[in-house]
Amino acid sequence: MATIDIEQLEKTYPGADTATIKGADLSIQDKEFIVLVGPSGCGKSTLLRMIAGLEEITAGSLLIDGERMNELSPKDRDIAMVFQNYALYPHMTVFDNMAFGLKLRKTPKDEIKEKVEHAAKILDISHLLNRRPKDMSGGQRQRVAIGRSIVRDPKVFLFDEPLSNLDAKLRVQMRAEIKKLHRTLDATIVYVTHDQIEAMTMGDRIVVLKDGIVQQFDSPMNLFNNPQNKFVAGFIGSPSMNFLPGIISVDKEVNFISEDLKFAVPQDLKPSLKPLDGKEVVFGFRPEYIYDKAVEKNKRLSEDMEIVIDSLEPIGSETFVYFHYKGNPKYTFCFRSDSRHQYTIGETVTIGVDIDRLRFFDGKTEKRIM
Amino acid sequence: MKFRSRKKEQLFWGYVFLAFPLFLLSIFVFFPIGFAFVVSFYDWNLLIPDKPFVGLGNYFELFKDPVFIKAIKNTIIYTLGVVPVQTLLSLFLAFIMNQKIRGRAFFRTAFYIPAITSSVVTSIIFVWIYSKPGLLNFGLNSVGIDSNIDWLTNPTTVLPSIMMLNIWTTSGYFMVSFLAGLQNIPSSLYEAAKIDGANQWQQFWKITVPMVRPVTYFVVIISLIGCFQVFDQIFIMSSGGPDNASTTMSYFVYQNSFKYFRFGFGAASAVILALLIFATTLIQKKYFPPEAY
Amino acid sequence: MKELKLQKIGFIIILAVATLIYIGPFLFSISISFNADKNVFEWPIKLFPETFTLDNYKNVWNELPFGKWLFNSVLVTTIQTVTNVFFSALAGFAFARLEFKGRKLIFGLLLSSLMIPGIILLVPKFIILNEFRLINSYAGLIIPGLVGVTNIFLMKQFFETIPKDLEQAALIDGCSYFRIFWQVFLPISKPALAAVAIYTFQGSWNEFLWPVIVTYTENMYTLPLGMASLRTELMTDWPLLMAGTILISLPTLAIFIIFQRYFVQGVASSGLKG
Repeated sequence: MATIDIEQLEKTYPGADTATIKGADLSIQDKEFIVLVGPSGCGKSTLLRMIAGLEEITAGSLLIDGERMNELSPKDRDIAMVFQNYALYPHMTVFDNMAFGLKLRKTPKDEIKEKVEHAAKILDISHLLNRRPKDMSGGQRQRVAIGRSIVRDPKVFLFDEPLSNLDAKLRVQMRAEIKKLHRTLDATIVYVTHDQIEAMTMGDRIVVLKDGIVQQFDSPMNLFNNPQNKFVAGFIGSPSMNFLPGIISVDKEVNFISEDLKFAVPQDLKPSLKPLDGKEVVFGFRPEYIYDKAVEKNKRLSEDMEIVIDSLEPIGSETFVYFHYKGNPKYTFCFRSDSRHQYTIGETVTIGVDIDRLRFFDGKTEKRIM
Repeated sequence: MKFRSRKKEQLFWGYVFLAFPLFLLSIFVFFPIGFAFVVSFYDWNLLIPDKPFVGLGNYFELFKDPVFIKAIKNTIIYTLGVVPVQTLLSLFLAFIMNQKIRGRAFFRTAFYIPAITSSVVTSIIFVWIYSKPGLLNFGLNSVGIDSNIDWLTNPTTVLPSIMMLNIWTTSGYFMVSFLAGLQNIPSSLYEAAKIDGANQWQQFWKITVPMVRPVTYFVVIISLIGCFQVFDQIFIMSSGGPDNASTTMSYFVYQNSFKYFRFGFGAASAVILALLIFATTLIQKKYFPPEAY
Repeated sequence: MKELKLQKIGFIIILAVATLIYIGPFLFSISISFNADKNVFEWPIKLFPETFTLDNYKNVWNELPFGKWLFNSVLVTTIQTVTNVFFSALAGFAFARLEFKGRKLIFGLLLSSLMIPGIILLVPKFIILNEFRLINSYAGLIIPGLVGVTNIFLMKQFFETIPKDLEQAALIDGCSYFRIFWQVFLPISKPALAAVAIYTFQGSWNEFLWPVIVTYTENMYTLPLGMASLRTELMTDWPLLMAGTILISLPTLAIFIIFQRYFVQGVASSGLKG
């Protein structure tokens, strides 16, 4: 059992003008895999380190299993942490690295041996126990770092960008292994990454942070489909959501106008957009939900839009198609096409956007309108 | 030990760790700095229990003392002679060693040996070299220069002789500093210069010298401070003689403080030496800052 | 290309001459120390003695209080080296890795003390030690050199290069700050500790000024002071004097040759810091 409750958590570094973490509220369930994600400098590592007890809490409270942790030192919080640079003790063998925390807690020798060997087996590093960190590869070091945390059998595991020093292939492999480990350990995990794909693939729920403010705390699919604001919409998904700023103008139709570009919003959206006459909005549509009308016949698509293909990025399984709307290079957008269909640069294509997937954000607050 | 917070724990250990070093440094560094000034205002003699306050009396006496004036002059001559020669020599040697020359490690060791050897040892060896029938005169005579001066008892040669010894002992140390600085200069700079048509000489003045400026700054400062306080060699080789021709300020401080035990007078002369060093380093910092590129 | 070759030869000639100048004096002093003939001034001066003898080295032990001076030097050097390594590591760790009120102020104080020339401290140090009746005692010789500010700086700089993660991992593993210092930082700081040890050793072994001031009886002299004190009376026995100086130089030379890379590293880093 380990729940984490974060209430109105604040962090201001001494001498800093603004807070690094501003009033974060999170309630993490037992055995959940939580990912903290956001661009660099958003405060995600600070938040993790506050949970660990490595950063002091300026205001608010942190509860683990309902117990206030604010003043406790890291060693008394029953947590374990895996660091980005592994932070293995260079002068100790793998065995000693993993056993160190247990030794300090005066665990009996045979119990230490048993626990270390068990963890080593889970992580497939039994053959490395007598090596020193400098004689191992990055992937092996990362396993040792994880091993060091699991022998302690803590309430909460904290991961601080653990995979960012590994090469791409190893990263994918370790991603799956950490997820598997989560199931085996049945533990609460808080995991920090700047990589939204890592966040989406690993987290039960994801905290999106920006400028020290929690933007949204939700399941991966909800973040993707129902982003609460423009930042989350743009941050989650790759390639990014297309955005087009403009205003809503109501005459006979309900129109979206952006400079010389004007189109009527689909029938379904009219009732909810009608009251917004004259309001500045940002129109958002994901590359995934744009279809070539010549190919896709079944979906409910918006009216025809003529576009000119500007550039192509084939990645194998699919192709990212970048295009200008109405030939105007100011409006460069992207859609994804499966690689069966061949496009050429300069070609004119008629497309439509899945009507159920159109998103509008408030032009000022950037909150989602619908 | 239990601590209420990490902050408290760090505060506790911080002062525990610093306690002994700080205690010692307070007694033997921080307190003596202030105390030196205090002593310099008294007619303080180890052998006389009465210590009257004399204000700036010691300082006035100093500047009326011809030996002290001579000591200042000697110290300045010494420093102005040694520092530039030593700096240029060590930079020059480092520059040559930095060319891909075989046996670099051997040369480096050879140049470094005088620097790690006790000043007593090098001084004694040079007393032999500089003596009338010594190696220097023998060498000069064998190349046809007729010379039979006793270098260390002749008032005109005594100071330059000791200066030469100083250059010889410490230039190896500074050479290693320069060598490290030179090795940090990317070789692509020299390659670019070669393509631009610079010869070795131009490369040395236009690339090497400006690029090692931070090291030069360090070398000059250390060398200055060392020269201003030169003592061991003077004490061993000439005891300030003949006729104070080699009395430097630090030797003057020593003589008055620990031979005549005139602590007040000695401390005052030490204060003036310290101020002189301080002013010189400030001037260097202001006019020749260690700019790095 | 031919020019380059000529230039290289020129460089090697310069270096060879320079080498002769730098180590030549030592070669002559070694030669004299093995010379059976007390008249070392007979021209032409030769690099190789005509009659070779080890008597001078024997006499150093028999005719001089060399053993006593050696004991004094070893005592002073050993104690100062051990304490400097230990205390500079402690203080360096506090300055580099602990955050506490007053740290910056104390560090600034240390920094500015480096700008104070040692000469100004002599009289006050003497007066203080005299108050405690420690003049001409081992305590007076040793205590002022138990810990040096430069060593503290060296250790601080080294500790600052150790990643913060390591300290935090240790905190989470349950280390107190003392344990982090003792079990995590010290074991991985051997190169820096070695550098401090070597510098202190060289400095203590060769120290001249302080023993001159604080000791006044022959039995309290350290080796350099002892040899220097003989310079006038032994001017007639150069082989004996040279044998003594060669013996004094051996430990520093041996340490330099064994630990050369630490010297070069140390000089390099202090040079860049400048």
